[in-house]
Amino acid sequence: MASSVILETKGLSKSFGDFTAVEMVDYSICEGESAGIIGPNGAGKSTFFNLLTGMFPPSKGMIRFMGSDITDQASFKRVSLGLVRTFQLVSVFNSLTVLDNLVLAAVPFNSQFTRMSRFMLGSAHRDEVLSLCEESLIRAGLEQKRWSLTSELSYGEKRMLEIAMALLLNPKVLLLDEPLAGLSEFEISDVLSIINSLREQLTLVIIEHKISRLVGIVERLSVMHQGQIIAEGLPDQVLCDPTVRRVYWGADDQACET
Amino acid sequence: MINTLAYGLTIGGILYIISVGLSLTFGTMRIVNFAHALIYTVGAYALIAALPFLGGYFVPATVLAVLAAVPLSYVIERYIIRRLYGASIDYAIIATYAVLLIGVDITKWIWGATPIPLSDPVNQYLNIFGVSLPVYRLIIIALSLLVFLALEIFLRRTMVGKIVVAGLEDREAVSSLGINVEKYFCLIFVIGSCLAAFGGVLYSPITTVHPYMGFQVLLLSFAVVLVGGLGSMRGTFISAFVLGMVMAVTGRFWGPAAETMVFVVMAVVLIIKPIDV
Repeated sequence: MASSVILETKGLSKSFGDFTAVEMVDYSICEGESAGIIGPNGAGKSTFFNLLTGMFPPSKGMIRFMGSDITDQASFKRVSLGLVRTFQLVSVFNSLTVLDNLVLAAVPFNSQFTRMSRFMLGSAHRDEVLSLCEESLIRAGLEQKRWSLTSELSYGEKRMLEIAMALLLNPKVLLLDEPLAGLSEFEISDVLSIINSLREQLTLVIIEHKISRLVGIVERLSVMHQGQIIAEGLPDQVLCDPTVRRVYWGADDQACET
Repeated sequence: MINTLAYGLTIGGILYIISVGLSLTFGTMRIVNFAHALIYTVGAYALIAALPFLGGYFVPATVLAVLAAVPLSYVIERYIIRRLYGASIDYAIIATYAVLLIGVDITKWIWGATPIPLSDPVNQYLNIFGVSLPVYRLIIIALSLLVFLALEIFLRRTMVGKIVVAGLEDREAVSSLGINVEKYFCLIFVIGSCLAAFGGVLYSPITTVHPYMGFQVLLLSFAVVLVGGLGSMRGTFISAFVLGMVMAVTGRFWGPAAETMVFVVMAVVLIIKPIDV
């Protein structure tokens, strides 16, 4: 438990015009920890992730990852450092094949692009990349669909593909934005078992709307409301917090009993 | 009839070559790039400037004119377009329109406003079913097919091409894969601009070269891109030839309506299938 802080924010804020989506968020997560962030729609959870991954710059505050300040770093560089995310609406490339989606994630474009550019015509790297992709195809249960266009996959399969792509990027911290949203019960158990297997290997931050899904997966739970973190702690404690229950009134009132 | 068909295909081919660059930049960067019309114009003038130095040989002058687009478009991308990523779409329109206006005035300052005619570089005719067609136009049709095939191979078979195809769909998702999208956008912008210059070169012997030649083509190209569908390269190809035929057929019956008809088609397509940018 005494491991070092891998990702932290200090006074992180983001305003869009008069609207403050994220307000003075101090958040930190230790290496190897699995944490959840819950909150009603529009609480600022996704905006918080977008700030962490550098999709837009914060209005105020700073982000520190593995000891260095990444507040002003371009989003693609954060990925190479090991800060990787998935999106609330599954984001894979529909006009490419399943395999090509994985290849795009597996090729380390920024490190040695000149050598990698030969990959298009076949080279030693080709086999290396393809065997990595093959492994993740099997892990995601998509080995039958490698040549299919991604647009032909079901939403659940796309989610599995997106997670497989994220894992090919060698994340140290993986940010999952509502990974279970829009999935059937059957698909949810598939994704949950992948997430469970990842807990041992890397640091996870999961945004989820349905509180009950996170119990048993995350060690720590934070609640966001109107851009701020209003409660933080062990999942059971947080769910019985009176402020949290008021925010979630009607939305998930049985949460405390589960 | 065959004449109309050949004319439609020629116009379609040139429209495709010009529009596909616009389609690539519009699709990946979501930037409406009016400066595209400037590069097209500069391509035509660069050809005129290069011809005397190359003993009037059209092919090497064409290569030179297309290459002239590389530094010009790089500067435009690096210092103007790159500042507009993520900004509202009207900023891009204003900024690139300014580039177009300034560029057109510089063109006028260097070469003057008088239209310059160019003679047919091939000057041979082919008899097809009793109709004599300029070989040059047939070459244009063939070149446009070649450009299409080359782009298809580039986009489908190469890693860079796959990044571009992915970027056409969702550029944020591409940068979440740790890929520096801007670097590839710059490449796309330069390729697209070279094609605009190529289009300008190919069209100049058919029409005349003048500083404002880009404006008319720009609107037609936008119609092609919108009818073809945002981010669809094959759509752009089909739409260019369909609209080329629309122009040729309309022009055969009533000349002045030829271009108007293109925008009528565009309006109908947009009503049936609206685009949200």
